[in-house]
Amino acid sequence: MSPSEAAVIMFGTFGVLIVLRIPVSFALAVACVPMMFLDDRLTPILLINEMWKSYNSFILLAVPFFLLAANLMNAAGITERLVNLARTSVGHLPGGLGHVNVVVSMLFAGISGSSTADAAGIGSLMIPAMKKQGYDSSFSVAITACSSVMGVIIPPSIMMVVWGGLMSVSIGGLFMAGIIPGILIALLMMSTVLVYAKRRNYPVYGRATRKEFFQALGSASLALVTPAIIVGGIVGGFFTPTEASVIAVIYSAALGGVIYRSIERREFPKVLYESARLAAISLFCIGTASAFGWLLAYHRVPQALVDVMAGWGTGFVTTGFLIALSFLFVGMFIDAIPAIIVLGTVLLPLADKVGMHPIHFAVIGVISLAFGLVTPPYGLCLLISCTLGEVQVVNVLKDVAIILVPMLILLIVIIVFPEFVLFLPRLLTPKFL
Amino acid sequence: MTTISKVTRSSLDLYFRLLKVLLTLLMLLMIVPVLLQILSRYSGIIPRYIWTEEIARFCFVWIIMIGSMIAVREESHFRVDLLPQPETDRQAAFGNLIVHVGMMLVAVVFVVYGYEFAEFGFRQHSEMSGINMLSIYVAFPLAGVTWAVFLLERIVVDAKRISGLADVSRNHESE
Repeated sequence: MSPSEAAVIMFGTFGVLIVLRIPVSFALAVACVPMMFLDDRLTPILLINEMWKSYNSFILLAVPFFLLAANLMNAAGITERLVNLARTSVGHLPGGLGHVNVVVSMLFAGISGSSTADAAGIGSLMIPAMKKQGYDSSFSVAITACSSVMGVIIPPSIMMVVWGGLMSVSIGGLFMAGIIPGILIALLMMSTVLVYAKRRNYPVYGRATRKEFFQALGSASLALVTPAIIVGGIVGGFFTPTEASVIAVIYSAALGGVIYRSIERREFPKVLYESARLAAISLFCIGTASAFGWLLAYHRVPQALVDVMAGWGTGFVTTGFLIALSFLFVGMFIDAIPAIIVLGTVLLPLADKVGMHPIHFAVIGVISLAFGLVTPPYGLCLLISCTLGEVQVVNVLKDVAIILVPMLILLIVIIVFPEFVLFLPRLLTPKFL
Repeated sequence: MTTISKVTRSSLDLYFRLLKVLLTLLMLLMIVPVLLQILSRYSGIIPRYIWTEEIARFCFVWIIMIGSMIAVREESHFRVDLLPQPETDRQAAFGNLIVHVGMMLVAVVFVVYGYEFAEFGFRQHSEMSGINMLSIYVAFPLAGVTWAVFLLERIVVDAKRISGLADVSRNHESE
């Protein structure tokens, strides 16, 4: 079977099954099965074996733990402390609560690795507060959803853990690489909020006193140490990412259960169960997507793609745009984790061919997929925020599109100038490159 | 509801609750070996066990597979809505039937080939802790069987909705 035939059959079957509303993880498995019967050398046991191999990974263990840590932080009321800190530092700018929303997302992103936990935790606090102060529902929901994507860009990041684990890229290096783009996204979103505030005359509040600011800082300080422990621990070589994620769990459980005493003992099993359930559903996709990716590689689809592109003579920047466009498109329809596996394996040789650094490639992929979290039809952060704001997805799309424009420009800048991504890892963690 | 379907329903509910409890316990259990690993490296009180990483990974595989079983019954596996919403309940039920039959295909593959896979595991022992690999590999055929049972429960509901509502619409026409 030629690579193009294999690609057409597999992607075609997968596409049809997705349209029929078969869950993504199962659709990937079904698309593998006929290929395994068509080739004499293959058997469906390989499907199960590939799944087993992808699950039997110590690095991926960090995913449920980071999710658990984020959920514990939410349950412990740490989000509220962060909101207070943001309110006393940027609340006086025009469009105050919009800025607070962005800054809290940034702070929370440094503690948790999950954008959905970010949207759920911050949205439930900020959206009602913003509506009450006269912000449009669509803007409140859109800014919550869009700012939550920083969760996967600013370290720690579940997406980067998956990416690093599956494609053997240093997770410490990836974490470092996400810092500058993440902070730039926050600044760009705050500028967008300023424009909104001027045009729509959103309320302006007085500046918090220095005392109030320091009080808020003090009450959030224990939570703010978390990113230093996690990122510092990994980058300094004290822990592996998985160990760091367990430390984050223990730390947030200690904060919520012992120090702040804000989580009741009864709540723990519930948080454990919910985190395990969500992690399992996302990670189950990894197995079937790995089998799918393995079959694509078996039929030499990635190599064929490289040959085609070589024929076109695409250069570094064009290839960068193609990679971003592929991830943007696929991210609209499927979850980021299977997208990383299926597309990542196909595009990696392409990036390699034009001499793109694996970390640069990964950050382009992660940011492109982050858009997918807020774009329909399948944008989890958008869906969560809309549910919390009690609005229809259609009604917020315009605001989402406006807020995403600066982020799109940033993506283009990052593709053209790799230094934005590679500067920090080169400076701080040269051993990871 | 007949007695048989009542008994089936309540035993499935019981099994579902058992899976939920197992998932919670495994998540808690999985923290222990990783924590031991860190403590043994930095405290020196606890000996450096070599099996910590392996046990954590095996818990992890079970968590994923049990989570996938739970999500089949809850219908919470991620899916994409591209087609317009069905207009009648019968159409919706028909759409669901296609989904459940498609998923059933994967379940059957897992039962048949998962069995072979587990047999293969029976002849292996893990590298670090020496556990018989059957105890982990069996998660795959078990997932297949569990998906099949939960999907069958759904398919029966779909079939009932398709046939039952057909009667309702006929009644409307006769009025």
